[in-house]
Amino acid sequence: MRGLVLTATDPKVHLTSQTRIIAAVLALAFMALVLELIRRDRLQERFSVVWFIAGLGMLVGAAFPGLLTVVADAMGVRDTNVALFSIVLLLLLGLALNFSVIMSRQAAQITRLAQERALEKAHEQARSGENGSEPKRERLES
Amino acid sequence: MRTLVFIPAWNEADSIAAVIAGVGESLPEADVLVIDDGSTDATAERAREAGALVASLPFNQGLGAALQTGYLHARREGYDACAHLDADGQHPPAEVARLLAEIYADRADLVIGSRYRDPGKAESDDYKPTLSRRIGTGVFRFFLTLATRQRFTDTTSGMRAANRRVMTLFSERYSPDFAEIESLQLAVREGLRVEEVPVRMLERAGGTSFLTPLRSAFFIFKGLIVLMVGQFRPRHVEAER
Repeated sequence: MRGLVLTATDPKVHLTSQTRIIAAVLALAFMALVLELIRRDRLQERFSVVWFIAGLGMLVGAAFPGLLTVVADAMGVRDTNVALFSIVLLLLLGLALNFSVIMSRQAAQITRLAQERALEKAHEQARSGENGSEPKRERLES
Repeated sequence: MRTLVFIPAWNEADSIAAVIAGVGESLPEADVLVIDDGSTDATAERAREAGALVASLPFNQGLGAALQTGYLHARREGYDACAHLDADGQHPPAEVARLLAEIYADRADLVIGSRYRDPGKAESDDYKPTLSRRIGTGVFRFFLTLATRQRFTDTTSGMRAANRRVMTLFSERYSPDFAEIESLQLAVREGLRVEEVPVRMLERAGGTSFLTPLRSAFFIFKGLIVLMVGQFRPRHVEAER
């Protein structure tokens, strides 16, 4: 029983060369995808930095799986999986919140743009005289 | 006193012309601006035919954004006072004149038309709300009163009149999501004089209220969050540009 518990919480990271190669290829493919999205104007450069960093992180993880043990030790977590998942989860949470902030700002900008355009149209209407009420139009132009 | 009356309208082609005509009758000196909030029917055309200036938002932006468009126009064009009312014919334009009288007399910066003639009573002689609306009204009334330390009976009224101080504030800061209630909190927090005037309102001519019990619950929940956050917002009146 005691031996079972120990092996389950063995702090060493065991990855076969095969899994490491697959992980590295996936990381490279991910970065290639980001590049391709930028090339096709589907993704702006300023939003791509964070994804490149994520891709590099994946690549480093595949090359030096032992690093994860160092990180887990620094966090005081015995299980490297917990360390990995909690880091990734927190990063994604932060990223999602960041996007909500960006979205909110853009929503406000879009609203103001729509308002400006609507008022511009109203001015056009006032100038072109489609509006039947003469005195109102004059007052608006002054 | 130059006055602008603006009417936010979303697919109100049937009633908009009558509302504009009513405003012209009750407030012949006022300019009328209809803010067409991305209507897919003939609202804009009907409004133009009725002699109003029309500002058409390119897509539906919600009541808050539509109202802010009106405040923005009023501020930029240098109006001394402005007022707004609903496009569905529930708000008699004659009552808007009474709100504006308070602004002209400089007794308040922002005047709200309350459908509850007897303050504190949940219904009036002309207005019989549904249960879910009554609950929502009660909750908002309680929390807004708590937040502002000022009594409000009709927190979601869409019939209001305002002076330039309010135009300046609302054209810069006006929540697109929860405009009616947050704007009251904002105005009180900025030290503006907000006053309620009991008005007569009519039953809606056509269409049904958007409030189902579930929606009401969500509406109330959202409102409470908005109010709570609003209490912690920084205070400042932006200088007029």
